[in-house]
Amino acid sequence: MTTELASALMDLKRDEALDIVKQRAEAGDDPLVMLTECQDGMTLVGKRFQDGDYFLSELLLSGEIFKEATARLKPYIAAGGPPKTIGKVVLATMRGDVHDLGKNILATLLEAQGFEVHDLGVDVQPTSVVDKAKEVRPDFVGYSALITTAFPAMKETTELLAAAGLRDDIKVMVGGGVTTEDVRTYAGADFHTLDASEGVAYCLQQMAQKKGV
Amino acid sequence: MRQETMSSDERVDAAYAYPLEKPDRVPIVPLILDCALATLAGYTQAQMATDLDFGRKALIKVFEDFGGWDAVYTAQCMAWDQLTGFFPVKLRIPGIDVPDNYVLQVAEEEVLKVEDYDKIIEIGWDKFYFDEYLDRICTLPPDVRSAFPKMLEKYLTGCEEFKAQKGIQNAHGGGAFTPFFLFSLTRSLTKFTEDLYYRQEIVERVCQRFTDDTIAKWVPLVKQSGLKRFFYVDERASAFFYPPAVTERFFWPYAQQLVDAMWSEGIVTIFHLDANWDKNIPDFRKKLPKGSYNLHLDSTTDIFAAKEVLRGHGGIQGDVPPALFVLGDPEDIKSYVKRLIDECADDGGFVLNAGCSVPPDAKPENFRAFIDTAKTYELSK
Repeated sequence: MTTELASALMDLKRDEALDIVKQRAEAGDDPLVMLTECQDGMTLVGKRFQDGDYFLSELLLSGEIFKEATARLKPYIAAGGPPKTIGKVVLATMRGDVHDLGKNILATLLEAQGFEVHDLGVDVQPTSVVDKAKEVRPDFVGYSALITTAFPAMKETTELLAAAGLRDDIKVMVGGGVTTEDVRTYAGADFHTLDASEGVAYCLQQMAQKKGV
Repeated sequence: MRQETMSSDERVDAAYAYPLEKPDRVPIVPLILDCALATLAGYTQAQMATDLDFGRKALIKVFEDFGGWDAVYTAQCMAWDQLTGFFPVKLRIPGIDVPDNYVLQVAEEEVLKVEDYDKIIEIGWDKFYFDEYLDRICTLPPDVRSAFPKMLEKYLTGCEEFKAQKGIQNAHGGGAFTPFFLFSLTRSLTKFTEDLYYRQEIVERVCQRFTDDTIAKWVPLVKQSGLKRFFYVDERASAFFYPPAVTERFFWPYAQQLVDAMWSEGIVTIFHLDANWDKNIPDFRKKLPKGSYNLHLDSTTDIFAAKEVLRGHGGIQGDVPPALFVLGDPEDIKSYVKRLIDECADDGGFVLNAGCSVPPDAKPENFRAFIDTAKTYELSK
């Protein structure tokens, strides 16, 4: 059954969703249960998107509501211990490019599905990605680009991941306005998309395979 | 091989007169921004961004080094476009905000606030922009900024002399952003999307005011230029981002008003459309007068499918993929240009261009293949 909170989020009723979170949190409801309900709402948004009923704008808006809701839940969650994550992702707009719209949307959608996202920001050096990968041992590394000048840094990063012995355990993703399958090949990546929700679906599918589901 | 039978001007005019005329061969009108001109001319990005004279020199050098083409985009130096009001966003400028060898980039953030909408509706966009907004976004040093009017005059005079000498036109007689794109960039994608869903009435009012201003300003200026083409930019209103109801309410009424106003003077509107517009293409045929528009696609929209939808009604241009210019070789470019000519130019109405623009790291040999193939392939058939 869809809860009131999940429904409000799914229907993009921002004020209603945030009011529910506030009232229930203050009343002592379990914040992790509410977080799960928000994630359920985002899953329903994702289904509407896959069915063609929702568009990127609705993913974006639902993501913003989700972010606000989780920010309100954070103080309560902190007291009760961190939520479970289903996988780890490192994201970066690589050196030479400062555009981050697509990356930010993907980060929000992944967090909404329960992934732990390490967003390194824009104009990121390849060595910074590798350092972060060594530190957190992610399941995925994603490069985002809106302009072609970021391509060499993508390739360099994949090569550095391989040299560090990390590549076999990581699926590398490429996305953003100017990227193509040829860019994926050039960058030595496993997956390419122009669509953030496809990126989320890919991560979920890979995690399911990894866990033998 | 057949000989060319038209001048560059005649060829470009014929392509935009679609479906009434067909040129002797496809006209070549590549959109090359300052960042790509810098690379192809051998200048640094910082030189191009902080001294407008490099823009003129680079355009002339690249035009001559690569054998020339049929019409040129001048005033495509984005740091300066901010000062003219064409590019109303924060920028990361090489040599100022990013290293000398970085390309100039758009730094999209929420600069325009919700409360600014009322002020724009009251005083108009231009007054708001020059009185107040420009200071919020401009990072050019004061001395560079104050030198701008003289530099611009010199630049434009130089470009006019160059075009007269080469016997070519400018690519268009003026340009602007659609209100949808303008407010999406100035508010930021996320904030403007919230406005589109939660503050609909004021968005309609500010879009109407901006459209009124655009028509009042640009119809006379384009007429005065003698060029029957207006460059109209939108990279956000497509079904890649928004459902049809949003595009229908917040893009089409204003696009139709603008096109009608231009077309009443015989001016064709070139829509510069980035991102994927596949689902929206039929609407251009349904909503705009025959012959009144030409769509510049960026390679994410299927240009070959678009041609079939618009055949006999509206022109198209594009769309050699930026990634192909960077990662491909001359044979890849040659094949792609040939396919464009075979499938999109057979009945005219097609202008060869890059998808969006020639990228800053295009291989010179690929840019040459782009130009040379367009000049020879159709005439050799």
